[in-house]
Order: sequence, then structure tokens, then C-alpha cells
Amino acid sequence: MVRTRRPRRTVSRLLLLRMAVVLAFITLAAQLWRLQIVQGDDFRWRANSNRFRLLSQEAPRGVIYDRQGHILARNRPRYQVVVIPEDLPRDEMEQTKVLRRLKYLLETMPTAEESALTPGKATTASAATPTPSTGLSLAEVQARIAEAAQASSFRPVLVSGNVPREVALRIEEESPNLPGVRVQVQPRREYPSASLTAHVIGYTGPIPSESVETYVERGYLPTDHVGLAGLEATFEDELRGQAGQRAIVVDVHGREVRTVGEPQAPVPGHNLVLTIDLQLQQAVEEALLRGLQAAYRRSGVAIAMDPRNGAVWALVSLPAYDNNLFAEGISAEDYAALSQDLDRPLVNHAISGIYPPGSTFKIIPAAAGLQEEVITPRTLLGDGEELDGANDGVIWLPNKYFPWDRRQDRPFYCWVHKLGYGHGRISLVTAIAESCDIYFYQLAGGYGKFEGLGLERLDQYAQLFGLGHLTGIDLPAENAGLVPDARWKRQTYGENWVTGDTYNMAIGQGYILATPLQMVNATAAVANDGYLYRPQLVYQITGADGQVLRDFTPELIRELPIAREHLAVVREGMYRAVNWEHGTATKARLPDVAVAGKTGTAEFFTDRDQDGWPDRDAQGHLPTHAWFTAFAPYEEPEIALVVFIEGGGEGSTVAVPVAAEILRAYFDLQKSRAAAEEMVASMEEDTGAAVPDEANHGR
Amino acid sequence: MAGRYWRHFDIVLLVVTLLLIGLGITMIHSATSSVPELAVLTQRQIIYAGVGLALMFLMAAVDYRLLSSLSLVLYVVTLGFLGAVFVTGQALVGAQRWIDIGLSVQPSEPAKLLTILVLARFLADHEEEMGRWRYVLAAIAMLIPPVVLTYLQPHLSGAIVLLAVGAVMIFMSGLRWLHALVFGLAGAAAAPVLWFSLQDYMQERVLIFLNPQSDPAASYNIEQALISIGSGGWLGKGLFRGSQSQLQFLRVSHADFIFSVLAEELGFIGALVLLLLLVIMLWRLLRIAEMARDGFGRLIVVGVATVVFVQSVINIGMNLRLLPVTGIPLPFVSHGGSSLVTLLLGLGLAQSVAMRHRKIEF
Repeated sequence: MVRTRRPRRTVSRLLLLRMAVVLAFITLAAQLWRLQIVQGDDFRWRANSNRFRLLSQEAPRGVIYDRQGHILARNRPRYQVVVIPEDLPRDEMEQTKVLRRLKYLLETMPTAEESALTPGKATTASAATPTPSTGLSLAEVQARIAEAAQASSFRPVLVSGNVPREVALRIEEESPNLPGVRVQVQPRREYPSASLTAHVIGYTGPIPSESVETYVERGYLPTDHVGLAGLEATFEDELRGQAGQRAIVVDVHGREVRTVGEPQAPVPGHNLVLTIDLQLQQAVEEALLRGLQAAYRRSGVAIAMDPRNGAVWALVSLPAYDNNLFAEGISAEDYAALSQDLDRPLVNHAISGIYPPGSTFKIIPAAAGLQEEVITPRTLLGDGEELDGANDGVIWLPNKYFPWDRRQDRPFYCWVHKLGYGHGRISLVTAIAESCDIYFYQLAGGYGKFEGLGLERLDQYAQLFGLGHLTGIDLPAENAGLVPDARWKRQTYGENWVTGDTYNMAIGQGYILATPLQMVNATAAVANDGYLYRPQLVYQITGADGQVLRDFTPELIRELPIAREHLAVVREGMYRAVNWEHGTATKARLPDVAVAGKTGTAEFFTDRDQDGWPDRDAQGHLPTHAWFTAFAPYEEPEIALVVFIEGGGEGSTVAVPVAAEILRAYFDLQKSRAAAEEMVASMEEDTGAAVPDEANHGR
Repeated sequence: MAGRYWRHFDIVLLVVTLLLIGLGITMIHSATSSVPELAVLTQRQIIYAGVGLALMFLMAAVDYRLLSSLSLVLYVVTLGFLGAVFVTGQALVGAQRWIDIGLSVQPSEPAKLLTILVLARFLADHEEEMGRWRYVLAAIAMLIPPVVLTYLQPHLSGAIVLLAVGAVMIFMSGLRWLHALVFGLAGAAAAPVLWFSLQDYMQERVLIFLNPQSDPAASYNIEQALISIGSGGWLGKGLFRGSQSQLQFLRVSHADFIFSVLAEELGFIGALVLLLLLVIMLWRLLRIAEMARDGFGRLIVVGVATVVFVQSVINIGMNLRLLPVTGIPLPFVSHGGSSLVTLLLGLGLAQSVAMRHRKIEF
């Protein structure tokens, strides 16, 4: 052998070493197989979730215009700072450093107030109370991030909801040093007409925490803003549009490397053109405000609508609030102030406030009595010497169980009783014009030998006129009010319905409750010969390109089963209320337009001083709401109106002047617009005439 | 005279070596292509490879038996090298493993080779007596100082490699099974003592390996390595197209985690080719060991093969989460000059043994 000194042992040990090598590498290959081939799909999925991100791009929300094209709600960019937990440095020290720097940038830069982002009266008011968006402490931010990261570490965590543009740009500049920090531009709502239209438009805001899940199911992101009140809420689906989406590849620092596939552009939401006329709305608000000031009250409602189709032109509920506060993210103090206000500025009293309608209700028993042939226009009812010996504005209703015992009779007063006389025996037209209570007591509940309507028929007609039911206006939180019946009274009070209850109801007192909107809608139905329309606020829905997607169509709730001549009698009564010297609403008279209306002074119970007893004035009278419903012109009415002043006193002295002012404003506006149109038309005629001429010459 | 020797130069081993280095350079280039600051690493690796190959040939040309007589000097140099770190060493990634002599050198790398030479000489001299306690203990005593010095750098994985190399060499030189058993038991008994002497970060790594959920942030990279490897599939995502490495989800991908990049971009097939190349290399080395004319040469080659073997298994095992994270590079493939040059020198020694495996050549 050439080889020397190679014991047998060495050969076998080298063999052992070779076996060890083979064994080790087979183990490695087996593990490689397990990872790459067996579990490959799982790891590929994880690799993809590492690098792909789906970015959502919020769609611009639809703009809201008034009928004349004034902008009532629009978008402006707003900068949000979010942190994506997945992209933050993993090292705790590094992470704290990034967040410290971010906090520094957010806190040392000028606030939204100083930088005055957008000019305009509405926003300067709201910018004066910027949200304390940077008030989060470092620990709070970290806690939030930790919490959010448990659900999904890719989900952005909001650090600051409203950052001035300068700060946003600065953060963008420093983004290489701030891994995981992103600036998102989100369109935010702005309401140029602010509190003037707040009760109609409502507002958008962050999704309330309790309903996040339902919204997420509907395709929202938890950071989205949604319509929460008013038309913003009702038409959320129209206004919202469709968020765009973009898949991107990111590197380990969350920096975008490139886009994958076709980005899906956001589809802007649809625009709303309202039936609301901002100029009229303004005039209505001013008039109502003056009326409130005169009565030393803060809360009232005025609604103007088109009786021919149910289009609402102006809807004012006072007090109102600035909806820009909500769009900015309302502060706790502001919200507390608004929600604790006794006059409830956040509540739209026009649709959510229910009140006894008082004498404005009388148009309903009047129409019902005629239709049911309980009375004719010639029927005379009321107080009189031949009835109870004195025309003093009081009648005595015998006790149901002891009709022979006159000492148990219950007195029912007409409002004129306090003036020391009665209306006497009068016809329906006069009864409406003078708002005679006794006439309507008798008409509804009967008296002596005269059979009245009775509760059932009274209820039936009240409901036909829309009371006790939602009108279906395009606003959330509408209240149906109450049309009481015998069953209701038994269930609620455990007492039988008595004639006295029918008496009270006949003049809109007692248990009946209605919203101002219901009353103006009932009035409109009288004005338009018996068509009860659904009140509508949206005139058109238009696409982003201006194309009309849904045009205004009147929606009839019902045609009232009341003959036209009967409604004409009611209208005549309302005309006389305004235009007779003894009418209750003479202050609504206009020089060149015939106005018709019905006043109401509704007693109500309240206990503002919280002494456990209903509040009364020095004479022991209950406080009263001032009502007035009206339409004009008397022939071919084109506007129906309600003015309501909560606790305002007499309808005829408090509510009527407000209505007169509104009507004046309305007809002035019509006149000036007609004149402007005529001018434009004549100009068009001039230029338009020239073109065909030339064309003709050309031939 | 030289030509005669060169006829026995192991060409297959050389080709496998070049393939591994080439694969490594390609993967380093791919792993660093998305980070401009790291582009220089590819060039550096090429230079290291050039220098290393030149040294390899030089080493092959030298008769390894000449080194035998230098044994004592080499031993002193080794300890001096390792000791120098404590004097001039600079901390890199928290450990003092580098000395700066013009360029940074990781002394534990050449120390491996030097230890192999010294130990091989001793074992070869006493091959007949290795059945006796005294010589076994003497060999271990020779091994202890470099191991401890490496461990104190602190460089646990380097110490482990040295220990493994020493153990295999002693075993190959004719250790009795009974002795092997006794030493194995002694080692196991010493394990708890060793555990408490570990640096905190070392303990942490082992704990994280045993329970990855205990610290998600710390197990991040091994998690990303698994995702990289697993998502590679059969054929991989293609060179320069691994999302994990190109988008930097995987860190230190050019060094300790180069295997993950390779598995991601070249897939199961590519990774198998790498494993196969390593196996062929080890096969060739062990063949040389078998043919070696003397014990000294045989033990040198066994030592070099063990370094390649142990490092490959530890590194790939770590990438595949079969072993805890340690700072051991993948031989010939990972970026790193000290390691590459040392390994090529080792191969040079092996070639030298191969070339002189017969006494007389006619």
C-alpha cells in the first residue's frame, strides 16, 4: 500500500461523518419542502399581506344647493394625521422617537384658527372654536395604537382629525423620518348658511362608536364621516358616492413603491337641489326672530310651502345651532351647551315638537261638519239668550250622569268671555273668522238637541288631514303627534271619554297634539281643494355632471273625501278672519294680495320653575302658544304658511304679524324675480331675434 | 516539479467552490439591489473572492507538511489574534468581534483555521495513543483556550463551531467510544452552568427560538425569513423579484439570511441546488481526507470539512427555524470577507493535501 498509517478505525469514522452529512442535509431539505411546498400557500398569502395595501380614496360628497343655486353644503379639504401601526418602527425607542417628533410638529405649529384656512363668514365662526385635536398625550396615542393594532395593524389610527395645511405639508416633508405616519386628505363638510339651514341640512360627523359595525358592514371605513342629522342623514346614500380604491405595494417602511392593477376612481356623490329658497328662508328666520323678540321667547317655528305640490320653501325652527361645529368635530363643552339648553336648539321643533294646535285645528271640524252634513253654511250655532239666558260667551254642559241637576253643569267658555260678551248665534264662516269656540264645541260634541260630529268622526277627519301620522318629510326624527280616541283615554288615564273632551278637542285643546308641519300641511290641503301632499325638501337630485337624476314629483298622500264647495266655505272663513274687521287675523292683511288664515292660541301645561304645579300668570291663566296658519293669495293659493311661537301668547297679536312679514317678503321676492326674469327674457329676445334674421339672409 | 502536483488538484472541488461563490455574489447583489447604500457590498464580495481564490492557490502550492513544524508558533499567533480583540476590538452589533488592521477582520475566522492546524499536528503526532485518557485530555486542553477566548468576545456561535471542529477531529483521530460517551455526559452535566454563563442576548435568542410568541418584535426577522422561504414555492419569484427581500421586509438579507433570499427568489429547486453543491463539496473534502498520505493532512481536511458542514447546517437551520438565531454566515455564500477568505484558505490547505496524497509520483 502506498498510503501509510491509516487505521481501519479512521475509514469507518469517515463513513460516519458522511452519514452525518447526508442526514443533516436531508433534514434541511425536508424542512425546506415543508415550508415551501406544503405550507407554501399560507406563506405566499402572508408575503402578499406584507406588501399589498388597499388604499381607500373618499368620494367627494354631493353638494347641496337651494332652489336658486345657493350652496348650502359643500366640501373642503381637511388634513388628518393617522398612524399605521404596522409601519411604525418595531423598536420601542424608535417608535417613541417618531411619535414624539409627530407630537412636536402637531403642537408647535399654528392652529387652525391662526392660519385661517378658508375665508367665509360661516367658517370663521366655527374656526373660532377649533377642536382640541392635538390634545392627546403620547401615552394616549400609544394606547390607541396598541388597541387598534390588535384588530388589524394595517388599519390607520387617527391621531389628529383636523390639522392645518401648513402642518400637514410639514409632516409630508418629514415623512422619510416618520415611518408609519400618514397625512390623509379628506373632504370635510362646510355649511355656508350655517344655523339658517341647520335644521334642514343637518350635519355629518364621525360614525358614532356604537354603530361603527353596522356602517362597516355597509362598506364604510371606521374613520369615515357620515350624515348624522337632517338631509345629510336622510340622503346619505345619495350624497355619499362611492369611495375609490387603489392597491399599492409598500416596502417595509410603509412607503408606496408602486400601484397594482387599475385604480378605481372615486365616484362623487349626487348633488341635492332643495325646494328651500334661501332668500325666503332668511326672510322667514328674520321675521320669526322679530316675533320671538317681541314676545320675549326663544323658541318658535315658521314653515312656508307650496300648497300646490307639497314643496317646502322655508322651514325655520328656532333656536338653531351652527352645524359647522359638528362638521369640525364638536367639542364637549359646545355639545353640552347645546344639548342642555331648555329650548332644545338641537331639536327641529317644526317636525319633532308636538303641541296643542289650538284654534288652527278648527278648519278640520269645520270641513268635517259640512261634509258629514252635520251643518250647512247657514246653520247657526253658538251662545245666545234663547239658549241659556245670556250671550256671555259661556255655555253649560250638563253632567252626563245627572243631566237634570243643573248645579253639576260644566261651563265651557269662548275666548271672548273675558271681554264680557259672546259671539251669539253665528254661521260657520263667522265662527272661523272670529274663532268662536262655542260654535265648534257644539259642532263637534253636540249641544241640547243638536247632534254634533262626535269623537269618531272628528278623529277620522283629523287623521284624513294628516294629524296623528308622520307627514313623511325627508327628515329624520319626525313626530306623529296624537289624535286621541276613547280607547286611548281609557288606556292612558283609566277614564271614559266625555263630551267635554270632544269640546276641548274641537278647539285644538285637551289631548290633541300636532307638529307645526302637520298644521301647515293640513292648511295647504284646505287651500288646494283637498289634496294632502307629502311635504318634500328635495327638488332635484343631480349627478356630478349636472344631469338631473330625479326630478321633483309631487307625492299625494291622499285626496280628501271632502267636496270642494265645503273647503271653499272653510277658506272663506279663513279669508274673513284676515279681511273682516272682526276677524282675529286682521294684522295679516296685505295691500295687494288677499290673505286667508286661522289663528290659534293654545293653552299648555308646563312647569319650568319646577314647583310641581303648572305655570300660570298673575291672573291664573295658563301660558299659551301663539299659532297662525295661512295661505295666499285667497284665489289660487301659492303659499301656505304656519307660524308658531312656543309660549308666545295670543296668536292674533304675536304670530300673525310674523306671518304678514313673511308673506310680504315672499310676494316682494316673487315680484323682483319676475322683473329680473322679464329683463333677461327681453335681452334674450333682442339677441335671439338677430340670429334668425342673419340666418334668413344667409339663405 | 510543480506540474506533477497540480495533476491531483481537485477540479470538481474548485468548480463547486466557484459555483457557490458565484451564487453568493448573485444573491448578495439581489438582496442589496433595492438599497443603493448597500450596492458596494457586491463589489466587495467580488474582491474578497478574488483575494481568497489567489490565497487558496498559494496555499495549495505550499506543502502543508511545512506548516506542521510551525505548530507552536501558530498556536501562539491564534491566541494572540483572539486576545487582540480585547485590546483594540471594536463593538459591532453589540459584540467585540472585530479588530481593525487597515480593514476590519473578524479574528475568530482565521482562528478556526489556525486551531485546526495546531490540533491536527498534535493529534497526528499522537494518533496511536489517542485511546489513552492522557492524550485525549491534552488535546482538549489545547482546544479550550481558543474556544474560551472566542466565547468571551462574545461570539458564542464561533465558539460552538470551534468546539464542534475540535470534537470531530479528536473523534476522527481515534477516540474510544467509551471516552466519547464520558465526555458527552460531562458536557451535558456542564450545560446548566454554561446556560447561566451565557450573555443575556444569547439566552434571549434561545428562549425566543423555543417560544416565538414571547416577543413578536424580536422574532420578527425569523418570521419574515420563514415567509420569504415559504412564499418561494417550487421555482421562486425570480432573481431580483422576491417581494420579501426587495421590499426589505427581510433584514440583514445579504449576510446571515442570504439563504432566505435564495429560497424566495430561486425556490425549492434553487435551494436544493445549493444544498447539493454543499454536499458535493463535503463529499470531495472527505474523499481527500480518505486519500491523505498522513494523519496530519487527513485531520486538516476533516477540520475544514467540519467548519463548512457545521456552519452550513447552523445557518440554514436557523433560516428554516430549526435552530436558534446565531451570527453564523453561510459558507461561501453570505457576504463577509473574513469568512470567505478563511474558508478559501482552508480549501487551499485541502487542495494541498489532495495534491500530495502520494509519496512518489512517477
